[in-house]
Amino acid sequence: MNVLEVRSLTKRFGTEQAVDGLGFELAEGSATALIGPNGAGKTTTLSMLAGLLEATTGDIQRKKNLSIGFLPQYPRFFPWLSALEFTEMAAKLSGVDSKKARQQAERTLGFVGLGQVANKKIGGFSGGMKQRLGLAQAMVHQPSLLLLDEPISSLDPTGRREVMELLKSLLGQTTILYSTHILNDAEEMTDQLLFLQNGRLVEHGSLNQVRSRYADPQIRIRFENTNAAERFVHESPWPAAVQGTAAIIAVKAEGPIMQDVFRYLSVKSLPVVGVEQETASLEDIFLKVVAGK
Amino acid sequence: MMDERTILLVLPILVLQFALMIFALVDLIKNPNPNGPKWMWAAIIVLLNIIGPILYFVIGRRNY
Amino acid sequence: MKQFSTLLLKEWRENLRNYKIFWIPVVFILLGVTEPLSNYYLPQILDATGGLPDGAVIELPDPEPEQLLVAVMGQFQLIGMLVLVLAYMGSIAGERRNGTATLLYVRPLSYASYFLSKWLMASIVALISVWAGFLAGYYYTAVLFSAVPFGEFLAFAVTYSLWMVLVVSLVLFASAAMPNAGLAAGLTLTVLLVLQLVDGLFGSRWKWSPLKLPNYAASFLDIGPDATALIWTLAISLVCLIALAALGIWFSKRNRAKTKV
Repeated sequence: MNVLEVRSLTKRFGTEQAVDGLGFELAEGSATALIGPNGAGKTTTLSMLAGLLEATTGDIQRKKNLSIGFLPQYPRFFPWLSALEFTEMAAKLSGVDSKKARQQAERTLGFVGLGQVANKKIGGFSGGMKQRLGLAQAMVHQPSLLLLDEPISSLDPTGRREVMELLKSLLGQTTILYSTHILNDAEEMTDQLLFLQNGRLVEHGSLNQVRSRYADPQIRIRFENTNAAERFVHESPWPAAVQGTAAIIAVKAEGPIMQDVFRYLSVKSLPVVGVEQETASLEDIFLKVVAGK
Repeated sequence: MMDERTILLVLPILVLQFALMIFALVDLIKNPNPNGPKWMWAAIIVLLNIIGPILYFVIGRRNY
Repeated sequence: MKQFSTLLLKEWRENLRNYKIFWIPVVFILLGVTEPLSNYYLPQILDATGGLPDGAVIELPDPEPEQLLVAVMGQFQLIGMLVLVLAYMGSIAGERRNGTATLLYVRPLSYASYFLSKWLMASIVALISVWAGFLAGYYYTAVLFSAVPFGEFLAFAVTYSLWMVLVVSLVLFASAAMPNAGLAAGLTLTVLLVLQLVDGLFGSRWKWSPLKLPNYAASFLDIGPDATALIWTLAISLVCLIALAALGIWFSKRNRAKTKV
């Protein structure tokens, strides 16, 4: 069951093609990560889905009576309202019953870790607190779809972890579509990946699907210094590349396996620190996708 | 020359002017990001009667 | 309706916490009392500044109290209106520009409630200001000179209030239509200036015009305005008011995509 289906969605600003023929679906209760370089059209896409922008052409099918929560990348608040006043207003404007709105706002603020400062003016909030408040206003009316534009990018590592856990706890009842450039986090919470570049969907699928398409496993040999890595790359019989003080060998069908590498290293007197086989991270895939198309 | 009536009539105005000044100063102190240096606005508010606080509220305040 | 009360509460808190509800009336009160006071003390002021040769006796005719109230209105027409325009030029355009509107616009927002809540709050502040200023002026005139008949004063203030509400509607409409607060103020002031100029130059050819509201207000202190002319002017003003509100609502909705995300 899909909560949202997008067909050949296009947005032009003057002559600039911000989003170009986008199509995807969001399954109920799933998490979808929208990734891509700056200016790929992520924010424009989310704004259209949130109903802030009209699409130039194309079609967004929302499930009937779909309620949406939206967190912009840089949420901006009325500084003269307290966190509780703002969240309560957000709930009421989203149709929550007046009597329940305050209660729900209090609970949500506690949930995002702002319970202690609920009655403080937003004007005095730090960037991280505003990000959490942004999350609170997006989910206070318990929407079935959350659209989050870079929800964790501006948080410190602890905050990131907490917010990720919090979002994960929502999955199931809530469908989440979020953009991010922190790919480690995307790896952790994603049922579907959407790679955007120049407004086009250049790659999509589950993490495993995408990985199997791009992920040539590789062997990383770490040396004590760059010199050694360079010597290895020059002298070894396999195509390899230097990366810092390490040499990387792509493992292809005709390429070497671990044992070949060990055998080779045992006869050479190179200052090896470690050898490991790794599958490509989302970051590697990202770089390949961006470079490839 | 300042008879009692004059004082009674002028006093409320002085009080209001003072109140306006205090509103503006309190707001300026709490304002994290006024449109220009704080000391400048403080001087404008205190030195320019009526006009100073208005200028601050309209131009200097920025909606913080 | 529920959204309206929610948004009105927000506007109320904003006007309270940025002191608009205090400082704007204070400005109007000061404008209201300055006129009678400076007229009363003018001889002494001239004397004290020593602008006259020794022995010269200052003989100024006492101004009519009606003239003083009309002069107060003149202050409102200039400084008062400017203050209101500058105070409310950013109501909508400013919210869009600084991005605070985004978190409202992503909700199933009633733009009628959005616009009208702002309109009502700004009108309330404008009315409090006008009445506080006029009453202060009335009182000081009565104490220093003589009292204007209160009934005439009421008719004068009520008629002028409608004009101020019209000005507020124009500012809010401009704030909804224009991309930023400065342009909104520019549009409002230009419209007011041009229309007043036109009415001043050719106004003798017609009697029905919202721009004549201040004149008709003033004439309540004199012989009273022509009843049919006043009624038609009130009717046209009301139509203008509704048209400005309707256009304001329409522009608020149309320009929602211009909010900073």
